[in-house]
Amino acid sequence: MQHPMNRRSFVTAGSLGFLGLSLREALSAAAASKSPVNGKAKAVILFWLEGGPSHIDTWDPKLNSNFKPISTNVPGIQISELLPKMAKRMDKFSLVRSMHTRGTDHPQATHYAMTGHEINPAMQFPSLGSIITREMGPRNAVPAHVLVPKWDRNRQYEEYFRSAFLGGDYDPMCIPDPSKPGFEITDLSLPKSVSQMAVESRSAFLKAVDRRYRALNETAEHTDMDAFTAQAWKMILTPAVRDAFDLAKESDTMKERYGKDSIGQSCLLARRLVEAGSRFVTAAGYHGTSWDTHSDNDKGHRDRLTPPLDRTLTALVEDLEERGLLESTLVIAMGEFGRTPTINVNLGRDHWPNCWSLALSGGGIKTGQVIGASDERGYNVTERVVTMGDLYATIYQALGIDWKKEYMSPIGRPVKIANSLEDKTGSPVKELLT
Amino acid sequence: MKLLFAAFILANAAWPAANVVSLRTAPARAELKGARASQQFLAVAKYSDGTERDVTAVSEWHLSNAALAKFISPARVAPSADGDLILTASFSGIQAKSTLKIEDAAAAQPITFQREISAILTTRGCNNSTCHGGVKGQGGFKLSANALYPAEDYEWITKGGGYQVLTAEVKGERIPRIDRANPEKSLLLSKPTMVSPHGGGKRFGTDSEDYRTVLGWIRGGAPYSSPGAQAEAKLTRLELYPSVAIVPVQAEHHLLVTAHFNDGHTEDYTHQSLYTVNDGDVAAVSPGGVVSAKRRGETSILIRAAGQVATAGVGVIGPPIPNYPEIARFNIIDEHIFPKLRKFQIIPSDLAGDSEFLRRVCLDLTGTLPPPRRAREFLASTDPRKREKLIDALIASPEFVDYWTFRFADLFRVSIFSNGLSPKWMEEYWEWIRNNIETNRPYDQVARERIAVEGYKPPSRHFLPYNQVGSPADAMAEEVRVFMGRRLDCAQCHNHPYENWSQDQFWGMAAFFSRMFRMGQVVVDHPTNMDLGTKDVGGSMDLLHPRTKAVVKPTVLDNSPLAVTPESNPRKELARWMTSHPYFAEAAVNRIWANFFARGIVDPVDDFRSTNPPTHPELLSALAANFRDQGYNLRRLMKIIVSSRTYQLSRTPNATNREDVSNFSRSLSRGLDAEVLLDAVADVTGIPETFSTAITEGAAVGQALAGTRAIQLRDPDTFFSRFLELYGRSNRGAVPERNHKPNLSQALHVLAGATYLDRLSQPNSRLAKLLKLGSGDEEIFNEFYVAALSRLPAADEVQEMKTILAQRADREAGLREFVWALISSREFAENH
Repeated sequence: MQHPMNRRSFVTAGSLGFLGLSLREALSAAAASKSPVNGKAKAVILFWLEGGPSHIDTWDPKLNSNFKPISTNVPGIQISELLPKMAKRMDKFSLVRSMHTRGTDHPQATHYAMTGHEINPAMQFPSLGSIITREMGPRNAVPAHVLVPKWDRNRQYEEYFRSAFLGGDYDPMCIPDPSKPGFEITDLSLPKSVSQMAVESRSAFLKAVDRRYRALNETAEHTDMDAFTAQAWKMILTPAVRDAFDLAKESDTMKERYGKDSIGQSCLLARRLVEAGSRFVTAAGYHGTSWDTHSDNDKGHRDRLTPPLDRTLTALVEDLEERGLLESTLVIAMGEFGRTPTINVNLGRDHWPNCWSLALSGGGIKTGQVIGASDERGYNVTERVVTMGDLYATIYQALGIDWKKEYMSPIGRPVKIANSLEDKTGSPVKELLT
Repeated sequence: MKLLFAAFILANAAWPAANVVSLRTAPARAELKGARASQQFLAVAKYSDGTERDVTAVSEWHLSNAALAKFISPARVAPSADGDLILTASFSGIQAKSTLKIEDAAAAQPITFQREISAILTTRGCNNSTCHGGVKGQGGFKLSANALYPAEDYEWITKGGGYQVLTAEVKGERIPRIDRANPEKSLLLSKPTMVSPHGGGKRFGTDSEDYRTVLGWIRGGAPYSSPGAQAEAKLTRLELYPSVAIVPVQAEHHLLVTAHFNDGHTEDYTHQSLYTVNDGDVAAVSPGGVVSAKRRGETSILIRAAGQVATAGVGVIGPPIPNYPEIARFNIIDEHIFPKLRKFQIIPSDLAGDSEFLRRVCLDLTGTLPPPRRAREFLASTDPRKREKLIDALIASPEFVDYWTFRFADLFRVSIFSNGLSPKWMEEYWEWIRNNIETNRPYDQVARERIAVEGYKPPSRHFLPYNQVGSPADAMAEEVRVFMGRRLDCAQCHNHPYENWSQDQFWGMAAFFSRMFRMGQVVVDHPTNMDLGTKDVGGSMDLLHPRTKAVVKPTVLDNSPLAVTPESNPRKELARWMTSHPYFAEAAVNRIWANFFARGIVDPVDDFRSTNPPTHPELLSALAANFRDQGYNLRRLMKIIVSSRTYQLSRTPNATNREDVSNFSRSLSRGLDAEVLLDAVADVTGIPETFSTAITEGAAVGQALAGTRAIQLRDPDTFFSRFLELYGRSNRGAVPERNHKPNLSQALHVLAGATYLDRLSQPNSRLAKLLKLGSGDEEIFNEFYVAALSRLPAADEVQEMKTILAQRADREAGLREFVWALISSREFAENH
């Protein structure tokens, strides 16, 4: 059962007090430790490559890949032949080839990628998106944190994208697959039968019903609910919010450009949302066609996985640039780990968190470069290890967020927002920041 | 605002208007042994209006023989020579006396690490869990939090080196933090004085008493302890005087701390303890234990010394209430709740009216709203025993079984996804719970069966997340959390940073679960005297300590190993120990209590720890003792709770209890759980929910039976329901912590979601039926109010709604909007 005054109970029943800090002190302590900020980015699109792409078959080509490296429009940088479109726009991307992370299976690694922490039975950790949403705040009535599409199965993954103890305000709004026929955002519009008149009379009735009770028992929850209700009305009644979710407003050419599948339409929706005001959108269209190629790795990468990646990622970055949004929108394309440099008996590649690659673009980061390097076959990082905490710190700095910040969990455990290996705080990859 | 504030100050300055009637000093008697001893005294005046005030600072203090002792600070006495003397405090023309005995005043006492240095590390905050007392220490220097493990601290200081969380190996070069050759150059002195750079800032100056003590200790050879029994005695308990301080706004109160040692002697530790306040807006506390009251409210002060923690309650009160009313007491609960309220100058709310009580008790006991007909019957009844009869009827109702099965299915985690991925297993486990509730099986038996279950018995399923035996650590932590209300999880990776749970204790407990083993669908404890070389157990049933890598023997929390034979089920012994431990009944009572009062006597309900004290410790023990004596009878416990006046208080606050949230002086409103709220929406609108699922096996295939209520779903998480998702149903992947915080998606769903909108226009709805019968507006308002809120609308409410309705040309649409508003209101969505 819940305490009716949560804001106070956080201080009184929670732990800050007995750590010798009041909440006010804790907040001001956090404010005092502000570090220098960059902050060109205002929003993030996470292009989530669920299952884990094979780094040696994509952004870190090796001789033990069955695909050839090709040159890009940046002299000296080569990527796999599976990504020809991206190769032509390499100047708009930076690659990190030295990711070194934890978690050897999907739940563990997804949790780690989304929170920077290993799964811990004693507590839940807030996700990157929820931290960014909390630190940056909403820009307008458009939901600040969105995940598209939500999982129909494997709902436990959704937990890893949530806000844990930060609270419901920062949970992602999880919406259905926009490429499916009949796509609509539940609860975002009133049925036509509900007229303006009806809206007014409902409000009047509600006020009348609640007046007596609330005069006696005004609680923090009521104030919060009022704020949410006001925002909900705004969302329902503001055409701009509905429009942000309305892919019918996009031309067919644009839809084609991103791709009409779940992958493309999720990214297109992410762009619309960021344009309208969202802070962090996870475009997770790969649910149905995961990168988890334990068998037929090459076939999967060649036929099923890289063509939409190449198409959609390039389209997204080009589109953002054409709209003047690329400088303010950080795009991250990554999975939860890489894949083994060796091929298994099923012609597949298995999980490999030891050394893997990701791609970044926009958000004011320096592009046209490669960070770090792996050994000859892509087993280990040989140069410039980048941990999850380092990646987070880089993202935070691009957004102007103090990456050294720690939250205090309700049970009194400090939680670094950029948690690196061995409980260290990550540091921004300076080469990426301008 | 300004005016109000001025009036407030005046009221306090003018108070007490009452006269001093008596004065007393504390302690009444003290013995000072050795030259280093001292004793703090305090003086408390009692006034004619019954209130008390600490007058230590404004009293005059006098010693009967100045040759034997001296004041080293106000009201603090240190010895000079052996003998007996009398200490006198004078205030307002009244005197009070204490006696003092001084022994061994001339005997030299060496400074030891265990005593003096540990105390300095504690009072100066060095070993605070946010500094060197943190899990990994700070700046490479690790101390145990609050000097819990002084022998380890002594090693790090005198031998040097860095602590590592994951192994017992010492990190880095071992450079001692004291310099025996040049004591002044010791890091232990140069860091806290900021002579060397120190991230923690200046903790004391080179001219301070603490500096001299540390320097004297190093010069004296830096001993860990001194020879002799008394010096090696271990501090076992801190005693506080007073344990609850009632302090008027803006006044001060001294705390006295007495340390009890295992050899039976006691010492004044007032100035060797560290004080921290939980809610700094209510009161502040200074070194030496002086509490300053800031604003009305309640908080606790944590007192730490030598690994021990104690808490003192502080109640900051306003002016005394001249005619504090007599409050009738119904039962044992009221005997504990009301005296404290009186002390705190809080008047409880009035007894709740019938409709307020009816709705509350129905929701709390059965998770179900009273149907309008039953509500009207109850409200109309003039039977003086009608509340008692209602309580008995509810406890005997099938809805009671539904609701408590649902509650315990949540707590015990009935879940396909968590318990082995088989609907059949989940259903059998659920049926076991339902059967326990239906037969009101003693709770200790339920607990023992769940902890020690073997074979294919239903509760064994909870040990099989994802169809495998879970880790011993997780299994143990869950049982302890559920049945003892303690969260040991933190100690899995490191000693608990602010609790006396060590990593060794954690793994000692976990070892009871280390032999669990799955054979087909059967959970057994593998005998350790069998051949372990077989593939099925990977060659070993031993549990290794993750840091020391030593084999851990099953050991309960008080560090005594239980007799476990190689072929026995060690969990049986553990289950017996757990359910006979006082923690068991207290945790159970507290958990049930919270269901009825929106918060526990300890809150959160499963977070008992010394730093999170109960608001009413005696009540908790009394209820726990009663629960035990009555054979762990859950229904009986619930009956005692709902029969108390405390439970039956109104939600309507008065001027004295409006701010109170922790003393049960009024009914607190709390959001309904997702399942209960959904059932309530269905009941009021008259349109049941249809639950469909993707499960293709077992009882719940495709769709739940028509008319199934949400609280009857065995595993609500397997049904598609946007409503349940939004309102925080639990997925039961971990011990659920329900969150009743509102969120944006809920707000959207209320405004535009199907749960609310679709129901309003259905032909079989309650509204449609009433319209068909030709009911008038007022009749419809009344019927819905009774259905949703268990009350009739007041005359002005009816009038207002008639006015709103009159503005709608379409009456039926207007009434639909009324029903929407009713089920969207906070009064509806909360229990209160």
